[in-house]
Amino acid sequence: MSFEIPDDLRYRETHEWTTTGDTVRFGISDFAQDELGDIVFVELPDVGDTVEQTGEFGVVESIKAVSDIYAPVSGEVTAVNDAVFDKPELVNEDPYGDGWLIEIEVSDEGEFDDLLDADEYEAQIE
Amino acid sequence: MTTGGTPFAPHTDADVEAMLEEIGAGDESELFDIPEEVAFEGKLDIEARDEPAVKSDVSRMFARNDDLTEFLGRGHYSHYVPSLVDHLSMRAEFLTSYTQYQPEITQGFLQVLFEYQSMIVELTGLEVANCSMYDGASALGEAATLASRLRRVSGDTMLVPTHLRDGKQSVLENYCDGAGLVVETYSMDDGAVDVGALEDRMDDDVVAVYVENPTVRGVIQEELGAVGNLADEHDALFVYGTDPVALALLEQPAELGVDVVVGEADTLGLPTSFGMGLGLFATKEEYLRQVPGRLVGASDDDAGNRAYTLTLQTREQHIRKERATSNICTNQAWVALRTAMHAALLGPTGLVDLATDAVENASELSGRIDELSGFRAPVHDRHHFREFLVRSDQPAAAIAGDLETEGYAVHVVDDHLLQVCVTDTNEAAMDDLVAAFEEVAR
Repeated sequence: MSFEIPDDLRYRETHEWTTTGDTVRFGISDFAQDELGDIVFVELPDVGDTVEQTGEFGVVESIKAVSDIYAPVSGEVTAVNDAVFDKPELVNEDPYGDGWLIEIEVSDEGEFDDLLDADEYEAQIE
Repeated sequence: MTTGGTPFAPHTDADVEAMLEEIGAGDESELFDIPEEVAFEGKLDIEARDEPAVKSDVSRMFARNDDLTEFLGRGHYSHYVPSLVDHLSMRAEFLTSYTQYQPEITQGFLQVLFEYQSMIVELTGLEVANCSMYDGASALGEAATLASRLRRVSGDTMLVPTHLRDGKQSVLENYCDGAGLVVETYSMDDGAVDVGALEDRMDDDVVAVYVENPTVRGVIQEELGAVGNLADEHDALFVYGTDPVALALLEQPAELGVDVVVGEADTLGLPTSFGMGLGLFATKEEYLRQVPGRLVGASDDDAGNRAYTLTLQTREQHIRKERATSNICTNQAWVALRTAMHAALLGPTGLVDLATDAVENASELSGRIDELSGFRAPVHDRHHFREFLVRSDQPAAAIAGDLETEGYAVHVVDDHLLQVCVTDTNEAAMDDLVAAFEEVAR
């Protein structure tokens, strides 16, 4: 089974993705949503909260597991995708699009160096 | 440590040896890590006796109990439990030492728990009820930790009334201590919440306000909507302690802005059982993911049949360990079953009748004691449910002692305060109690 792994994103080993720049979006990878199965609940921080690269920023719950989700880079939350609260299945259906989770203003762009690129992430999940 | 095999731990020495060898341990003691300071090395000194001897000892012990007619309440209430509840709940399908949760083989039990939850939902007006906590005190503790989890801003104070049972207060403090919360009291005005004082006390440190209705002194509180508003203004939860019989008559907590209802649901289904309880816990659907304890849900199976199962278990510690909503993974399922049976047998009308009697009996009995010289009742100028305070000119302990000699048990609350509780199980003895009060006042 091959998974979608967009080239323009960076990935955390724990299967979260982020866009690059000074304001970025986070989500979970196609591989992660497939592993979890049907997602039924998503817990996210509020706008204005701070997230740390070393810490979890929310929870994704599926019919078979509960997983903490970790921030690829640190920063302050500027937007939250409210749509996934009512329709958690968006994360399954469109993990890189409508199923995005939060947007943050990055506090240290150097942190991107700690992340995997698409090829490295692909090698990890193979 | 049991070796050599018993009916309860059927391992022979050879079995134990084989198991130890398999895991690479030399001795059973290596499997345990018990700190020396708590390890008990002595003999337990328990004398083994046969069953008839134990039975006769216990009977002799029971015979030492005074045979008193009890007018006791303050948290534990006796309502007549129809014998049908015994007959049904003792059926072998229900009476097991293990709560039956496996949906493939236990639809009946799960349905009962679902019915119990549905009754609690109907009585409270809130959308979600779990299928019980240990007792009212642990339910209150869970409400406090729920409040601290839900609150986005800091704060660490749980406000409780000055009139609160000691046992409940101490369990709550235990819960709060671990969760980094502190328990503080607000004052009462003539037996009910002093809204003005509460308003002065409220600040952004308060995570929850707890109000009991009826109170431990039997007072029915009115105008509690004001407390709901105060709690809302300070982003605190409004926690409300009550019981299913009282709920049949009192305004629905949901109408007052209550966030969590807790209490003892065992006022139905159990006789007064010396501390055994059934923790009532109901809350709003928006807090569903934070509810402690077990929830039974209804769905359809693939053949379209109604099917029941435990649901939303990701809140629980067997799934989420340290992120669980509660460290309690069990409940009082069999007691909840009896409570549901009792409530179903009474039906809505029977339940309202029982609650109405609780008000009328308390009013009648307090009125008659009030007419006697040397007593004033009720002490609080309010409506009462089941129980009320009596002020006595003579020391309360002496009066209670004399009543005991006459064959009646009442509570001593304070130097000159007694408390009397009347329900359907002792209402027939009201005339005799009044006569006894008259007797002891002389």
